[in-house]
Amino acid sequence: MTGLYQGDLHPNDSCAAVKDFFPLYLYNELSFDEEERVESHLDACVECSQALERQREVQMALDNIAVEPAPSLLRSCREELHYRLVEEEAGSHSGAKRGWWEQFTDMLTGRSGSGWMKPAGALTLVALGFGLARLPLGTAGSGGGLFQAGMMEPSASRVRYVEPSSDGRVQVVLDETRQRIVSGALNDQKFRVLLLSAAKDPSDPGLRAETVELLNNSAQFSDVRDALVSALKDQNAGVRLKAMGGLRSFAEQPEVRLAMTQVLLTDTNPEMRSRAIDLLTKGLAVENPAQSYDRQVIGAMQEIMQRESNAYVRQRCKTALESVKASTETY
Amino acid sequence: MAQKTGGQLEETALIRAAQGGDRAAFEQLVRAYDQSVLRLAMNLLRSPEDAQDVYQEAFLRVFRNLDKFRFDCSFHTWLYRIVTNLCLDHMRKRKVRKEEPTIVTTTEGPLDRMDAVIEERVDGDPQRFLFSGELRKRVKEVLAELTPRERMVFELRHYQGLRLRRIGEILGTTEEAAKNCLFRATQKMRAALGDFV
Repeated sequence: MTGLYQGDLHPNDSCAAVKDFFPLYLYNELSFDEEERVESHLDACVECSQALERQREVQMALDNIAVEPAPSLLRSCREELHYRLVEEEAGSHSGAKRGWWEQFTDMLTGRSGSGWMKPAGALTLVALGFGLARLPLGTAGSGGGLFQAGMMEPSASRVRYVEPSSDGRVQVVLDETRQRIVSGALNDQKFRVLLLSAAKDPSDPGLRAETVELLNNSAQFSDVRDALVSALKDQNAGVRLKAMGGLRSFAEQPEVRLAMTQVLLTDTNPEMRSRAIDLLTKGLAVENPAQSYDRQVIGAMQEIMQRESNAYVRQRCKTALESVKASTETY
Repeated sequence: MAQKTGGQLEETALIRAAQGGDRAAFEQLVRAYDQSVLRLAMNLLRSPEDAQDVYQEAFLRVFRNLDKFRFDCSFHTWLYRIVTNLCLDHMRKRKVRKEEPTIVTTTEGPLDRMDAVIEERVDGDPQRFLFSGELRKRVKEVLAELTPRERMVFELRHYQGLRLRRIGEILGTTEEAAKNCLFRATQKMRAALGDFV
């Protein structure tokens, strides 16, 4: 066996020499001349053609050991990174020269590195809250909203920014999240609205994945199916794969078939494309297989045959097209 | 110079905003790439903990050094240079320690911890499962036997779908050297998987 890539195939290459190049051939990483020589050899050698197919299967099987990070792991990584970035920023700011107002707001928000300033900041906040709480609601302006939202009801809030106003008072803007537990059944359309909204939450792929998984059991409802079809375009592959699972039982519906065809043509994840083929070929009528396909699907598969880089997906398309006696090439 | 696409322009704007201290822009930049970074680390290191370490360290390094990024290469290449270096360090240390991090002993015998975190494994295809049983085991063994560089090039080409030219850029080498590396990796795999090929 050669330990180093030789980069030079010869016209009378032995089968063993040609076989060495199969992996690079399948990765489309041979030069034009090298590829030409491999193909010339394959044209004349049945044994090597069969060996190439076995090599192709092995490379397809390698996909099976790939792992997709769990959405929960990604979420936890993002959260940890967020906190570490906040720490980094606080660290880098602590040495810099800062104005009195920045120092004051650091003290208020607890970003200050000085130990004594944190309790002082807390005390200031209490005093501020005490003072604001005594402002008449109607005269507090935006402070009225702040008073109502932040200080009286249990909520998670975060100071977005603080700034002095010209009259000597202070304006504090809070972002707040009020938590409430709601329970309901998935057959309640009003309750489903909450889940459909969570399935689109752009800030949290973990939440989207979990919600889509829950919705999968209710795909008999058209609003859920629409959400699952929409989730097929999610930027997170885990979410897309889960959505695909929920649509499995509805593969014969026109809108689902259209969405699957789009996935086959445009999704960047080979597993998604492979599963789209599964769904598009599902329910194939043995007695009249051609009826189960529409021309659009066949056209999409023929297109994939020409440009697909993943050998397994190509093979699946080929098998599907052959089973309906459709050409595997476009003309 | 080639014209930039809309996506690249948007990315350039994000990078410039992040260089100016906009942390929200930085986190948006992170989200554009972090899934593939985590996938790369996980597949190479086969340990969720190590993958998480690489993720944190890589993006913190990017954060600390972003002001030095001069657009001499794509942000993707720059980021992957950092990530691949961190992964190579992990793999080299592991080779020295001769650790097999994903296998743990349980009361029911040895267990591959990665199996517990694989959420989107291929399923529903009996043919693939039939083929994959013994093969899967052998592939894992041979991947563990590759040198860190061979493993890296193989991972970037097979699983990340990067072309050898880009892999060379990331690893600070030539396309030809990356091709040699991939060739050696696939030769070793062919030798180890002889029964299947």
